[in-house]
Amino acid sequence: MPAEAPAIGPRRYPPGDLAIWIFILAELGVFAVIFAAYAFARSADVALFNAYQDTLDRRAALINTLALITASYFVVRALAAIRMADRDACVRWLLAALGMGLLFVLVKGSEYAHHFEQGVTLSTNTFYMFYLSLTFFHFMHVVLGMIILGAVAIKARAGGYSPQQHTGVETGASYWHMVDLVWLILFPLIYVMR
Amino acid sequence: MADPLPTDLRDALNAAQARAQIRLAWPRPCTWVYLGLLGLTLVTFAIGAAELGGLAVSLSVLGLALIKGHLVGDYFMGLRAVQGPWRWVVAVWLLVPGALIGTAFTLAAR
Repeated sequence: MPAEAPAIGPRRYPPGDLAIWIFILAELGVFAVIFAAYAFARSADVALFNAYQDTLDRRAALINTLALITASYFVVRALAAIRMADRDACVRWLLAALGMGLLFVLVKGSEYAHHFEQGVTLSTNTFYMFYLSLTFFHFMHVVLGMIILGAVAIKARAGGYSPQQHTGVETGASYWHMVDLVWLILFPLIYVMR
Repeated sequence: MADPLPTDLRDALNAAQARAQIRLAWPRPCTWVYLGLLGLTLVTFAIGAAELGGLAVSLSVLGLALIKGHLVGDYFMGLRAVQGPWRWVVAVWLLVPGALIGTAFTLAAR
């Protein structure tokens, strides 16, 4: 029987382990509920939400958005590399994605440090309660995504994936893209829409 | 008829062919999508930096976010190549918070 080409053809299920997609759906469901809760809480006190939105660092959010999108692009390239049997390139793209993830963590960490210096807590007001809980929940997903990408990179470096068998890379990539996807809604909702 | 090529050799040829096709297709579709995502992000940031507000602006910004999410689902998550219900899983997810957020902002504007 001829071996299948590593190129992507029509498929019935999304790339990666199906279990990660069940997990992704659950996570997306939780974020959808929190997004809606934020939007409806805002409708009860628009002035407060607009006033405190102005205290956020929109430039930091822009850097973080660009970092996550770039990391996602790097992960796409890592997957393409392993499909072409280029293990070294796969590892390099994954490490580059991890670098972008680290940038996100540092920028977001500096934002939190600034807020905590100002005495901001979850109980400061409704806006900050949503802002801190929503962004920190997402922040933890970024950290988990980095751990997953790191584990995939280590296995890829050890030759654990091939053009025929790289489900682990697809699984890690799908999780990372979910983290990016959530931020693409979170960024305009929290930092821009008013 | 039996395949005259050994499996390893065929795999290597397939990989080389895939590499050649991708080089010919440079820039790749995912690169165009990446650049588009960066552009839409800068537009969103510019709207925020200009402190533009109101229902129309908010819904436009939300629309940009949904387009970006759809691009990520289709091109980065690979759902474009999927047939059947999983093809639309991200698109449907985007519609749910999109509709709820849009409704909440519309109610707040009244």
